[in-house]
Amino acid sequence: MNFQGFIHLIFLSISHRPMAEPELLLDSNIRLWVILPIVFITFLVGVIRHYVSILLQSDKKLTLEQVSDSQVLIRSRILRENGKYIPKQSFLMRKFFFNNQDDGFFKKTKRKVIPPSPMTDPSMLTDMIKGNVTNVLPMLLIGGWINWTFSGFVTTKVPFPLTLRFKPMLQQGIELLTLDASWVSSASWYFLNVFGLRSMYSLILGQDNGADQSRIMQEQMSGAAMAMPADTNKAFKAEWEALELTDHQWALEGLEEELMSKDLDLDNMFSSELPTGIF
Amino acid sequence: MASVSDMYDVTWEEMRDKLRKWRDENYRNSEQIVEVGEELIQEHASKLGDDVWIIYEQVMIAALDCSRDDLATTCLHELQKQFQGSHRVKRLAGMRLEALERYDEAFKMYNDILQDDSTNTAARKRKIAILKAQGKSTEAIRELNEYLEQFVGDQEAWHELAELYINEHDYAKAAFSLEELMMTNPHNHLYCEQYAEVKYTQGGIENLELSRKYFAQALKLNNRNMRALFGLYMSASHIGASPKASAKVKKDNVKYAAWAASQINRAYQLAGHGTKETKCSLKAVEEMLESMQIMPS
Repeated sequence: MNFQGFIHLIFLSISHRPMAEPELLLDSNIRLWVILPIVFITFLVGVIRHYVSILLQSDKKLTLEQVSDSQVLIRSRILRENGKYIPKQSFLMRKFFFNNQDDGFFKKTKRKVIPPSPMTDPSMLTDMIKGNVTNVLPMLLIGGWINWTFSGFVTTKVPFPLTLRFKPMLQQGIELLTLDASWVSSASWYFLNVFGLRSMYSLILGQDNGADQSRIMQEQMSGAAMAMPADTNKAFKAEWEALELTDHQWALEGLEEELMSKDLDLDNMFSSELPTGIF
Repeated sequence: MASVSDMYDVTWEEMRDKLRKWRDENYRNSEQIVEVGEELIQEHASKLGDDVWIIYEQVMIAALDCSRDDLATTCLHELQKQFQGSHRVKRLAGMRLEALERYDEAFKMYNDILQDDSTNTAARKRKIAILKAQGKSTEAIRELNEYLEQFVGDQEAWHELAELYINEHDYAKAAFSLEELMMTNPHNHLYCEQYAEVKYTQGGIENLELSRKYFAQALKLNNRNMRALFGLYMSASHIGASPKASAKVKKDNVKYAAWAASQINRAYQLAGHGTKETKCSLKAVEEMLESMQIMPS
């Protein structure tokens, strides 16, 4: 593979065109020897990452208390949302159980909370390291290797125009001042692949696979915002406040009038076909 | 005996898909499952791939229902060979012991699972099932209550508790359990209807009013629930005939009862499509509605 040859070809084609809008004609060898290999490499690395993450997965054991608390919170939320379907007395009974001044559940239960920071909780630390090793490290290594191997030429053109700000980022290693920012190097093609092949992974590896990097990054970002299991006390307090505010608007209030305003819809109630046997 | 595939002229893929449908929709047609599943695992086990394990589990439970201990033992052995030390398989072994009425051994097996993993809900529920099978309903109720204190979200357990309370005639607590179910499944007409029936059984003007409301709700959610329609008629006419009700309440309820009666007649008319039998059954329905009129005492 003669990369220098590619560059010569590009220069040749540029020199024969008006400078304003260089329409580059890329060597079709680029397609064969650069674009396809990068796609394969990204895909294979993704698949390997998926299986490695399965091997390295540690069993997360939940304690009885955690499971129980999460279910209680769900029940309280359901009470707030669907309390209007049960009679008023029952709703008040449950609200009293949760929020009573002296011995309501949310007032009474205080859980011992140790915030699971990476230092104190060894399993969280190993999880974090494993996450970094499996995801970030390969991406950096392979990105760098591709940058080094497939450097010095333009790989592809993105279909929309970009500003000049993107040039140093997307055109690593190509020092042409007049080149349109839409023409990108192979490193950017690699990153495009990393995100683009996500749907391929779900097709082949099924949903919820370990190769889905963007999803993992999203989870890391939203996980910082949520931080649920550590703050059971805070969650209880929040539920208490929310439940205090809820009122009971019985959904069945004017029901009979509404029901009896028209005949019941009894179409197709009696079909002449009966299922016979198993199949 | 002709094989299932010959009798119904189906391929093994169709049999497998049928089993999957029954699995997904939680059917308990154990005899059919045993018929189809036995042939599938005996003839086509190699073609099923990884599906075979879940089919073994499904067929084993069905076999226990049909007293087919031979089939159940075969399935259990295959699963034990493949998944050694698995809690799920251990629970199946416990279920087999339960089916053979060896309750103490089964109890011990479930306790072992719980020692290993205290959050295992399946083992806890099987222990309660043992108590129920032995007829110890009060203890079963007590254990189930403790279980529900920990796992408030388990709807299957709430429904089981409601049933146990109904059997013990403790309708107030049964109503409480059904309310939990109605809250988590507000669009399920069957829970509304069962709740209304419990309220109707409890009796008293307020409970009858509630039951009428919830029968109406069940009808609103599913227009074809005949049981709810009859329940609406009964509760409305009961209130209408009660001496304690005010005049306006009586008038309203008589109106509701009349509407319900007309809908019942309409349904029976649609059922027969004007054949000679229909006329007889219509007359029977009218007479029945007349007789169900609760006269003020």
